[in-house]
This record gives sequence, structure tokens and C-alpha cells, in this order.
Amino acid sequence: MRRSISAALAGAAVVMMTAMPAQAAWKSYINRQLGFSFMAPGEVTTDVGNFRGAIAGPRQSIVYRSVEDNIEYKVTVMSFLQSQAEGATLLGERQYMFQDRKTVLADSFARVGTGKDAVYGRKIVVDLPDNKGRTTGAFYFTKGRLISLEATVLPAKGNLASSDPDRFIGSIAFVLSHTEPGAVELETPKLE
Amino acid sequence: MRLTALAILLGAGLMAIATPAQAAWRSYISHPLGFSFAAPGELKVEKGTYRGPVAGAHDSVVYRFVDDDIEYKVVVIDMGDKANDAATLLGEAGYIFQDGKKVLMDTFGRVDRQFGRKLTIDLPNNAGRATAAFYFINGRIISLQATVLPANGDYDSPETARFVDSIAFFTVRAPDDAIELPAPPK
Repeated sequence: MRRSISAALAGAAVVMMTAMPAQAAWKSYINRQLGFSFMAPGEVTTDVGNFRGAIAGPRQSIVYRSVEDNIEYKVTVMSFLQSQAEGATLLGERQYMFQDRKTVLADSFARVGTGKDAVYGRKIVVDLPDNKGRTTGAFYFTKGRLISLEATVLPAKGNLASSDPDRFIGSIAFVLSHTEPGAVELETPKLE
Repeated sequence: MRLTALAILLGAGLMAIATPAQAAWRSYISHPLGFSFAAPGELKVEKGTYRGPVAGAHDSVVYRFVDDDIEYKVVVIDMGDKANDAATLLGEAGYIFQDGKKVLMDTFGRVDRQFGRKLTIDLPNNAGRATAAFYFINGRIISLQATVLPANGDYDSPETARFVDSIAFFTVRAPDDAIELPAPPK
């Protein structure tokens, strides 16, 4: 009797471990040069991307990206050091483009920090066209940089209401003393 | 037959008396501030102070009108010394406007290459319904706020949207007969 119970438990454990995808640990990442930190699971890679907006014009961007358990996590940084006073409109345009022609599920104020150090932005959740998944985005403009965080739950994940995108979006910090010790230093690629 | 016609005429006359007289809408323009808008009623210019945790305390100029129990306000806040924080200052202004109130609408405002926000809220204690738009341009927050007061009662009045949507930042779009806004009192 005892032997069959042990066998059943062992079998259940093996089946559960095999069936459930292994989830990578979340790590903290920091870029002191660009002035932000965030948390994400999986291996974060660094790329250079391109953006074009009617007001922003063509811009190169720095993209930090990881994919874990069929969720894509992306932090995009664009520099507008020469047009900081246009920050409100540049941020508005970026947010508008993010939700344009998509089904908007939520669009609310986002705030990082408190008091005089607070940075205001927006958090927007959209369903992508053609059932390509659900993206949660947060957008901020601070110190001449437009920083966006996007977490896309891909259809293969199944659970579009996963809480991991919120964990990712909510991890952004602009006051670096709040970053936990041992955060991985992110490189800053040179842009043309 | 004659009696019926007379009664109809009398009724129409009474209705005209019962309906409050609505002031004509006029266009206003400020070349120094770089915007124009339209509003009904008599213009009053006031000075005010705007405060926010990020913004701190800043002087503001309020162009104010009241017509048919709707209050129309254009608030200009000079943020020239903090213009590099434009995005956060605009976000903070919108946040303060709706904080602790019932939000009925919160959407993009898009005018003449400027992105802002448009919000509609119900004021606490049945004090009315306010629709506002917020933009940050040339180092200033420009906010248009129209509040339908309880005495008006028509909270779905289209006049608030007409006012908020009348803003233009390309001043060439203002009508030829637009009235130049006076400078604020010293």
C-alpha cells in the first residue's frame, strides 16, 4: 500500500514537472547611463531598433528584450535630448500609435515614484489584431528619453490575463537607489 | 380655427420666454500665447495659482465665461522654468483634475500636432459635470474646462465639447473676427 502511494506521488511529480514549462527566475536589470531599472525573466538581449512618428520623425532606439513562457518583454528607449520641451506631445504620439487600430482594454494613469520625484505616464492594455495576443504597455518621458515597456502575451501562452506583464510593467524605477542590489548592468549600444 | 391658431402662437411665445437666452459664441485669440478658442458669454480675466507635487506653485491666468449655467474656463499655466518635464507636468495636471472623482471619459486629445488628454468627470456632491482638455505647448499648460452646473441640469449638453474642441494652436485657423485676449491683470 505504502509503495503504491509513493509511486503515485512520484509519478504525479514527474508528470507535473514535465507538463509545466520551466519558468526562469526574474532578475533586476539596471542602466545607470540611461537612468532606469526594471525586472524581467529570461535572458535579456540588447538590440538597436527604429521608430518613426509623424511628430517624432525617424529615431533609432535601444531595445532590451527577453522571451519567457510565451510572453515577450521589451523595454525601448529613445533619446529626445534636443526636444525635451516637446516631451508631452512626443509621449502622446507614442501612446496613440501603440493603441491605434487595436482593441483597447484599459488606458489609465501610470506613475513611478511619489511627490516631486514622480514621473507620470500611461499604462495601456490592447488586444492585438488577428488574435496575435495581448500587449500591456507603459510609457514615460523623463530626462529627455522616451521609455516604453511592453509585455506581449502570445497566443501559445493561452492565458492572456497572466499577471506577469503587470509585474514587468510595475518594476520600472527611475530613482536608481530603489533598485535591488546585484542588478545586472545593461550595456548601452552606440547609435548612429 | 382662429382660436386654435391664437393658442398655438401664445404657446410658442411662452416657450420663448421660458427658454433662457443663450449668448452668442465668439472666437478669441492670443497671439503671444499661440492659441485660439470659442466661448459664449462675457469674458472675465483672473489670475490664479496652480500647485502640484512635481510642478510646485505656478502663476496661472484664467479666462472665464458663464452662460446658461455652464462655466467655461481656459487656464494658462506658465511652466517655462520646468518645460523639460513637459510630459510629467501634463500627466500630473490631468491626474489632479480627476483625482478622487468619478471619471466618465479619459481619452486622447489631438489638435494641430499637439497630443494631450480629454477627460470628463462627475464632481463630488452632485456639483456638476466637467469636461476638460489638457495640452502642453511652448512651456505652458493650456487647459480648457467646461462645467455644467446643477442649475443647468443637462449634463449631456454638447456645449462643453464644442468649447473644449474649439481650441486651435495654429492661430491661422482662428476666424478673422476673433477677439484678441487681453493681458492678465497685474
